[in-house]
Amino acid sequence: MNARERLRRARAVLIAGVAVCAVLWAVAAGTMVLSLFAALEAAVELPSGPRTLALPLAGFATVAALGAAGWRSRAVRSREAVALWIESRVPSLRYALVTLEDARTAGAAVEALEARVEGTTWRRPLSRALARALAGPAALAAAAILVLALLPPAAVARVGRPRLDADLTGPVRGRTARAPLAISVAVTPPAYTGERAFTLEDPAVVAAVSGSRVAIDVRSAGARLAARLGDSALAVGGTGGGGGGAGGRRTLAFAMPARPAALRFLAEAGERIVAIEPRPDSAPTVTLTLPDRDSVLRTATGVVPLSAEFADDYGLAAAWFEFIVSSGERESFTFRSGVLARAALDGARRADRRAALALDSLRLRPGDVMHLRAVATDRNDATGPGRGVSATRTFRVARAGEYDSIAVEGLPLFEGDTAAISQRMLIMLAEALERRRPRLARDVTVREARDIGRDQARLRRRVSDIIFARLGDEPSGEHAHAPGEPPDEDQARRANLTPEQLLAAADSATTIAAGAERPLDFAADETPVVAINRPLLEAYNAMWEAGRWLEIGEPDDALPHMRAALAAIQRARQAERLYLRGRPPTVVVDLAAARLAGDRSRARSGGREPRGALGWHRARLAARLDAALSAASGSALVDSLLLLRLDALDRWPGFAAALGRAVADLRAGRDATIALVRAREAVAGESRASPGLPAWEMLP
Amino acid sequence: MSRFVFATAQYESGDWDSAPLVPANITDTIARYTSIEVAPSGAIVPLGSPDLFRFPFAFFTGHLPVRFTDAERANLRAYVERGGFLFVDDHNHDVDGQFHRTATEELQRILGPLRRLPNNHALYSCFFTFEDGPPTTSHELNGWGDNLVHRYLDAVERDGRVGVLYSNKDYSSEWNYHPQSKRLFAVDNTRFAVNVIVHALTR
Repeated sequence: MNARERLRRARAVLIAGVAVCAVLWAVAAGTMVLSLFAALEAAVELPSGPRTLALPLAGFATVAALGAAGWRSRAVRSREAVALWIESRVPSLRYALVTLEDARTAGAAVEALEARVEGTTWRRPLSRALARALAGPAALAAAAILVLALLPPAAVARVGRPRLDADLTGPVRGRTARAPLAISVAVTPPAYTGERAFTLEDPAVVAAVSGSRVAIDVRSAGARLAARLGDSALAVGGTGGGGGGAGGRRTLAFAMPARPAALRFLAEAGERIVAIEPRPDSAPTVTLTLPDRDSVLRTATGVVPLSAEFADDYGLAAAWFEFIVSSGERESFTFRSGVLARAALDGARRADRRAALALDSLRLRPGDVMHLRAVATDRNDATGPGRGVSATRTFRVARAGEYDSIAVEGLPLFEGDTAAISQRMLIMLAEALERRRPRLARDVTVREARDIGRDQARLRRRVSDIIFARLGDEPSGEHAHAPGEPPDEDQARRANLTPEQLLAAADSATTIAAGAERPLDFAADETPVVAINRPLLEAYNAMWEAGRWLEIGEPDDALPHMRAALAAIQRARQAERLYLRGRPPTVVVDLAAARLAGDRSRARSGGREPRGALGWHRARLAARLDAALSAASGSALVDSLLLLRLDALDRWPGFAAALGRAVADLRAGRDATIALVRAREAVAGESRASPGLPAWEMLP
Repeated sequence: MSRFVFATAQYESGDWDSAPLVPANITDTIARYTSIEVAPSGAIVPLGSPDLFRFPFAFFTGHLPVRFTDAERANLRAYVERGGFLFVDDHNHDVDGQFHRTATEELQRILGPLRRLPNNHALYSCFFTFEDGPPTTSHELNGWGDNLVHRYLDAVERDGRVGVLYSNKDYSSEWNYHPQSKRLFAVDNTRFAVNVIVHALTR
């Protein structure tokens, strides 16, 4: 073998090594991408969209790595490049190999070069270089494969078979409608429910109590059948028909799960989705009817009657009353608990229980708090037992000093002074005294006149209360004081005012704005307050004047002032009959609207209000409904709607119910338009028509 | 040419503002059926004020006894003599109520006797035609009052012109609703107001 033949062989070996290296890089890259997606799937369940990207991305990574490795070693195609690569690793060749490869080398030179190359071998450097180049990608590929092998197989399977999960969570796209598998479902409810077992032929939805035993017989499945309930694979028993032909019977069984799930069959003969909808067993409802409210006990003695009502959908197992007593204060508390009147109810769906709690037996102390409630359990031995409790009643035993701290405000005393004599009566007394005066001694006249004067003063104070309360002053403008006590300065000042001065003072006190040029536009430049009070002010001052004359025993001089006071009071009474009225509001009529000549720019044509923004979950459901309706038909559409129903069952029962009706219609070959419209309205909201004639709504 | 303003007469005694929606409703009616230039909102004018002479038509209503002040009497006399038109409506549903007795007494003392207005008077045909005279109100037959239909209106005329039109048919209640509510009636019950106002403005 001459030198040129040896070079060609070495080139072939290098090309093979480059190819193997590129393949290893490609395997490593693709496996790493799949491992990454599988790890994410295992950690957080990926949505169907990202999950379906796993395989394309892995393929892209594979091709990219393959291409990159090939491109990086593209020089291996050239013999000159291979010769130089060998020369660099075998310096003893001294460029003999490169020179031989040169086409211009001929004659004796060739023989000399051949002789030099013949004495040199490059097998070892070549093998070492190849091993070094392959070790890295081989190790990386092995590591990626190992990681993929260590990840949960279910996650890897979901990533590796995205179409299955796309079917489970998204619309069925491009799937041809195949005849569904024929199935028969036997449901055996838990024994405690007392319900009979039943069989469903070819159902779309299997609804039963949680914990029910569900056995499914799949006919015409063919040789291979796989079944998944949610994310879990189900074991399938029985035998296929052999050779993939029809006629095989396969069976599987499972317990009704706690949450809705899709049961999916994959077989050669077809595929099918059945909605598994568990009906939860409700916990017992308990109502504590006695005691009916919380309470505070002064002493913890006597008997507390207890009464409760219990109910359950499948039957009660037991019921009782519970109490907890907490004693202590601040950071030191102790607790006691107990059970009363526990009774077995033997599956009764309704029951009433009564009991009595003797407080003396609990030895409650002041400050103790007792909590009472009723409890019941049902007979659910499949997923339960369910436990129901009533509202809690609280009894507290009052502490010793507790009632002393309650503040009770007494009612205010009645302020009416019913001892006042009317002005008309005072005049009659004064007139009578004046008539008797010639026959009376002076001191008797003075004493009786002063008695009338005291009543006059009492009446004056009542008038004063009315006036000064209206003027915004203190309720009693005239201070009451004991006999002999000198009147205060303000009282004395008021007593010396003439009616005009008093009115002026009142007027200035009731002028609203400090800089007002004149009071409100009332008659004779008076404010309404002054006008209404003027007669009473006159009466007030006349009473003062009459009182002075009575004080010195001169009833005849007091009488004109007393009559003036009475006349003023009468005028005030008449003035009180007037009442102030507000002006009615001004209503502006829309004349243009009345003449049908309004501005058309304000008019709107009738239309529909845009729907409000949907939450992300409803928007996702609506989009899935739209996609299912546009992309699928036949059994694929039924399956998509069933999957949607399962997802919506918890949060959007109206939508799920409408989808259920649509599925029933589709399976029965009926028109499902109405049900689908209802489903759409349930998930996306109804459109609202807006009125087209807003001008009628209100006046501008 | 100034716009027509529906004026409500304000007087010292009684409740002159007992039908607050009538001005807006009748203003709407005038705009709806006629081309009279009309102000979009009414005015309130004291009966004793010289401002009364700015309005050729004034509406007067109430439930309570009426006692005019001297200024109101003098002003009302001059108003009617100078061509004003006062439409007085008894807001009660009875025959011989406080308003009817006192208002007619005051009007007769000031302006002379009220006379029955014949049902073929031009008032009933100057715009819409009311062949049977004044249209009946629902309040005349509702069981609250006299259960009698008042067949005629009364009036004080000056030189063949109506100066005071007196009604105890309770148009104040009949017309006291929001103009928008007219669409609920098969027949607009405020059409007679058009005749009253057109007559007041053209005679």
